Amino acid sequence: MTSPSPSPASTSSSDDGEAGSTRAETAALQEALAAEHAAVWGYGTVGAALAGADRTPVVAAAESHRDLRDQVAAVLTARGADPVPTQAAYQLPFPVLSAVDAARLAVTLEEGTTSAWVWVLDQAAERSVRETAVAAACAAEVRAVSWRPQAGVTPVTTATPGLPAA
Amino acid sequence: MSTRPVHPAAAGTLSRRSLLVAAGALPLLAVVAGCTDAPPGADAVTPAQVDQLAEQVAVQEQLVAAYATAFTAAPDLAAAGTALADQAQAQLDRLRAAAPSVTGSATPSGGTAPAATGDPRADLRARVAAAAQSHATACLDFTGARAALLGSIAAGLRGQDGQLA
Repeated sequence: MTSPSPSPASTSSSDDGEAGSTRAETAALQEALAAEHAAVWGYGTVGAALAGADRTPVVAAAESHRDLRDQVAAVLTARGADPVPTQAAYQLPFPVLSAVDAARLAVTLEEGTTSAWVWVLDQAAERSVRETAVAAACAAEVRAVSWRPQAGVTPVTTATPGLPAA
Repeated sequence: MSTRPVHPAAAGTLSRRSLLVAAGALPLLAVVAGCTDAPPGADAVTPAQVDQLAEQVAVQEQLVAAYATAFTAAPDLAAAGTALADQAQAQLDRLRAAAPSVTGSATPSGGTAPAATGDPRADLRARVAAAAQSHATACLDFTGARAALLGSIAAGLRGQDGQLA
């Protein structure tokens, strides 16, 4: 069992190469892919804990993560890397027993993917990868902002998502 | 400059590569001083990038000023938006830390400011969205910790944009 957040990738990063190298970029993309796998899985749990009328944003978020997952996997395959697969099982970071829990899990998933994509920005070599990464980080933070009120998380916004506090 | 992003596998536990300010600032200072032996790497910047960082600092300074203007025009907005303004200031502080040679005299070159509509909230939201776009675009021209910082700030401002809707 693997926790869905942070990224479940178990890649040892001590030999991933210097930031800005193709090797480091590929390793960071693998981490992002692992985070997207976790998000796709996690949103299934989020949706199961919500009433039907509240599932619309869940469906949209899961679809966005699936699209991104497939896009990253294709990029990795094109460069000759084996995309990390989804885990057989993930461990929830806390029990999801209510709508508030579900929103907290959604926040956790979005923050996990944001961190992974900001890490990609730190490690990326190619401009096209940075384009994907900044768009993905922005989209994840927007979704996190929409979930935080339901999760009782304040403040609702963050100054520098994906980065440690100054 | 500011701390680097935390490797996802280490988030919440151990910051594997939590290099501090000097990791990014030293190459920048070397460029500004005209040194030729600045260490290579993703955090090194060119003179053109120094100028671009100055522009992004100016963009953020204008956003911080826009918050103050909006709060003066609409005190009710101040009550709800203080946290957002504080975050914009925090973003400015981190940008300045990432560009220690910047004096604040640069002028943003990425287009004109959004036209005022007379609605303080709408005007502020347009400013936030424009700043987010500016940082996201600038992020593409950098590597390493500065790319991460600009992208993170862009994401934070996208979130603010949604809050102001």
